[in-house]
Amino acid sequence: MIKTISAAVLTAGLPLESAKTDEHAAIAATTPSIGAAAPPTTYLFFNPEEAAFIEAAVARLIPADDQWPGALEAAVPNYMDKQLAGAWGAGQRLYRSGPWQQGTPSQGYQLPFTPAELFHTALAAINKELAQASTPFAKMSADQQDAYLRSLEAGGKNLGGVPSDEFFAALWAFTVEGFFSDPVYGGNRDMVGWRMIGFPGAYASYYDLVDQHGIKIDRPPMSLAEDAHGHMHADPGIPAYLPPPKQ
Amino acid sequence: MATRLKPVDVVTIGVGLTGSLAALELVETGLKVVGLERGAGRDTVPDFQSPAIHDELRFSIRKANMQDNAKVAVTFRNNANQTALPIRRWESFLPGQGLGGAFVHWNGQSFRAQVADFIYKTHIEQRYGKKFLDACGPELTIQDWDVTYDELEPHYDRFECLLGVSGKAGNIKGQIRPGGNPFEAPRSREYPNPPMKEPYFGAIFRKGAESLGYHPYPQPSANLSRPYTNPLGLQLQACVFCGFCERYACEHYAKASPQTTILPVLLKNPNYELRTNCEVLRINLDNTRTKATGVTYVDAAGQEYEQPAELVLITAFPLNNVRTLLLSGIGKPYDPTTGEGVVGRNYTYQTTGGPTVFMDESININPFMASGANGTMIDDFGGDNFDHANLGFIGGQYVGAIMTNGRPIEFHPTPPGIPKWGLEWKRAVARHYNHTILIQQHGTSVASRLNYLDLDPTYKDAWGQPLLRMTFDFPDNDIRMSQYIADKVVEIGRAMGGKIIERGGTKRPYTTTVYQSTHNAGGAIMGTDPTTSVINRYLQCWDVPNVFSLGASAFPQNITYNYSVTIGALTYWALDSIKNKYLKSPGPLVHA
Amino acid sequence: METLKSLMANKTWCRFFAAVAAVLAPLGLLTLVQAQSQARQPDAKHGAVIAAQGTPAGAPPCAQCHAFNGASDSSGAFPRIAGQSALYLAGQLRDFAAGVRMSAIMSPIAKALSPDNVADVAAYYAGVEAPFLPLKAPDAALVKRGEALAKVGDAAKRIQACDNCHGPGGAGEPPAIPYLAGQYSQYIVFTLQMWQRDFRTNSPDAMAVIAKKLDAQDMAAVAAYYQQVRSPLAAAEAQRKD
Repeated sequence: MIKTISAAVLTAGLPLESAKTDEHAAIAATTPSIGAAAPPTTYLFFNPEEAAFIEAAVARLIPADDQWPGALEAAVPNYMDKQLAGAWGAGQRLYRSGPWQQGTPSQGYQLPFTPAELFHTALAAINKELAQASTPFAKMSADQQDAYLRSLEAGGKNLGGVPSDEFFAALWAFTVEGFFSDPVYGGNRDMVGWRMIGFPGAYASYYDLVDQHGIKIDRPPMSLAEDAHGHMHADPGIPAYLPPPKQ
Repeated sequence: MATRLKPVDVVTIGVGLTGSLAALELVETGLKVVGLERGAGRDTVPDFQSPAIHDELRFSIRKANMQDNAKVAVTFRNNANQTALPIRRWESFLPGQGLGGAFVHWNGQSFRAQVADFIYKTHIEQRYGKKFLDACGPELTIQDWDVTYDELEPHYDRFECLLGVSGKAGNIKGQIRPGGNPFEAPRSREYPNPPMKEPYFGAIFRKGAESLGYHPYPQPSANLSRPYTNPLGLQLQACVFCGFCERYACEHYAKASPQTTILPVLLKNPNYELRTNCEVLRINLDNTRTKATGVTYVDAAGQEYEQPAELVLITAFPLNNVRTLLLSGIGKPYDPTTGEGVVGRNYTYQTTGGPTVFMDESININPFMASGANGTMIDDFGGDNFDHANLGFIGGQYVGAIMTNGRPIEFHPTPPGIPKWGLEWKRAVARHYNHTILIQQHGTSVASRLNYLDLDPTYKDAWGQPLLRMTFDFPDNDIRMSQYIADKVVEIGRAMGGKIIERGGTKRPYTTTVYQSTHNAGGAIMGTDPTTSVINRYLQCWDVPNVFSLGASAFPQNITYNYSVTIGALTYWALDSIKNKYLKSPGPLVHA
Repeated sequence: METLKSLMANKTWCRFFAAVAAVLAPLGLLTLVQAQSQARQPDAKHGAVIAAQGTPAGAPPCAQCHAFNGASDSSGAFPRIAGQSALYLAGQLRDFAAGVRMSAIMSPIAKALSPDNVADVAAYYAGVEAPFLPLKAPDAALVKRGEALAKVGDAAKRIQACDNCHGPGGAGEPPAIPYLAGQYSQYIVFTLQMWQRDFRTNSPDAMAVIAKKLDAQDMAAVAAYYQQVRSPLAAAEAQRKD
């Protein structure tokens, strides 16, 4: 659990020097989980082969470096897994009727697949293709992995009915979501994505600060589930309308 | 088999901005009004409270406050040579759903239109000559509105006071006032509340714009700058710049919405009945096809009802307004090949897209500390505020530093040339997130005979009814307009001290895959002539006088500015005519 | 502490952060100060001296009322200030000195403090930890009602949840918005009354509006709730230490 203090020394109004390297090193040093290995994930959706590809792919899409962890350490595969296993993966809010035909780029997504179907289909085709090659994706070198991802991104491959560029675009958008969404969704572990950019998170009330131009805001970010009880929605036992006081 | 209900005086199709505003005006005269809302009921407490409301994935990315594409979508094509396909997930525009409609999750940007906007065709022809308009594009079909700014001014004033709009007047009765927009249409008085605090990005833009001789002013805001009690006795609070404005509801009672400015009074009125989760299928007409007898709707349990009514108000958001008319057989549908017909004609959008200005690392922008309408902007390039004589286009854009959030899934800018993913991308995001200013260009959308709405021949909604089909691309005129302004705005970016400036400007083709604006307009336009308009100057249907169509569907073409306040003024104007003319003598209010 | 050692070993850190780091270290993750080297850094050690002894200019020791550890006393007459945001504490002292906020006790004290004193004393109290004093058990029904106001608000009175601004479990949204978790209930009620009656005016756009919608029962309820809330972050921290 990340320790926090509520102190902030007043620096408003002063021109600020950058000490980003020191700052990052300090945060890395004092935040136990940053820099640690990827957390174990219980996969509900991805089979082991799919998970292996996803873990290796996100590690290239947003890699770790000496400054900040990457998508793998941030549990982005876990985020993806839980989204695909749930309502969104099943096609919530997606217009699903046919007939289907390829549209122009302006017309957006026109495939019949739900996100869950898209990922299962494309990953099966990828893993099949790479099984026939000498090295599965997870065993490739970083450069080889980047090259393979770029080949998907460029399009031209048909992954069982999913054009590879559409799959890549979905994978990338999903990775960004997993890196930057609230940790309650299973990614952005320890809010590393938010710490990296300095986004303070879900608790946001800035009336007294918005006109302190240039002020450095460096309180630790706060998630939707900051309440130690882990509840995000109002406890149904707490009424919205308070009963009148007993006389 | 539909169950026939007891007749009421008025039905509104939709309970958003126009539906709640109209209902309140009419229940106070003693009429019985039923509001039919497709979505669910909701209120500030408990539904809009944080932290749950500050969930970017849920509300921005998964679009929880929007219409459910699984049930009803829109089909789209750029031109009539293509086959329209469903917009399977919203991106470019986000139609709202639920009590309060899009007026719950809007950004609070609160402008009036210009005097010239209401007589646009006459104005352009008078200023530049008839040939000029033809040269800008023979396909352009701009029209006058048949209502003037002066007629609307008292209604603008009334609506701004209902909301508590926070701003600085630039023109009071013709007198230009310092600190406001010198180009604005004359107001009868100052705004009800002072302008919002200016964030850092606005202050930097202000300096840059001033140095080039432009006239920066604070964006008028319906996220209030201080506590305020509106004329209905409802108190709103001051906005706290939480950075979760557009796509989100406000937890603080600080954003003007039906919930904060109208509904507590409307819902208590015994003449009003709200029915939520009710999908209106069509307006029913009598044998003459010139009188509405009521509406047919389906409730959440799938039960079909017929609700008879004397007066039907279509208050469902522009796209849904037009669709309702088409599904009900009211008015002649527009046929682009013959140019005949009116319903669906003159569909317009908004021409947007400004530069990204990457600043020095020492400048902390803190984009997460922002409100929906706390911009600093200039109107020097708005509308017809500048001389177009040698430019070869009509229309204009406002320009400003109008940042509303730093929500990271949506906002993680990187300069041109940075790879789209990988380590370099990640480092660029970390470097630039807190040191980047977005400048918005936001402007007119001219009407073209090529852009229109009709019913799709193939795709249907969950109730089995045809989807609305949208045929639209940016007219060349608007591309030239935005590119001209984009060049000017780059200079402002430089004057702001930008280290890298990624130029703005709109390009063709229009794509539905990137968010631009939810200011869809037109399709059921007002005018003087029933062969080129669907409704008259009081927003009453020419063909069916006991049906009024309220909303931006009435706009013959779209204005420079965000249109919510103009819609509010137009609604008050129409209701004024209903109360004082129509109810006394039902029938056509204008004889063409 | 382990954390402090690793920091102090890093010469780059020492260059930017010496005195403040020593005081802030026990609390773990530091907030970071960036400033030009010639601007004066707040001196929390000197702040501790002022808290204990007062100033030659006549400001009495803060500890007389607020205790040296900022926990004040259990009377509830003086607010708990241990670990409160330094920016917030400094802002209140400035407001007392300028007459924006008025108190017969705090106004003369604040006037006797120089701007440097204010920064130092705020930095000191921002950095201290203090235990929570044992207090009378609160009325359970009152606490439940207070929790509802804190987490959900009141639709009929059009009041939003306190935690929207005051943070999860009232932990505060530093640096501008103070914590309420563990604050004395009498002090919370008193302060709400000051806003309600327009005697405290340094958050007029928010707190005065809300306070005027609260009746005596509401005030007692939120006060009872927040007095017994322990910041979930601090609670988790305490768990971690065990």
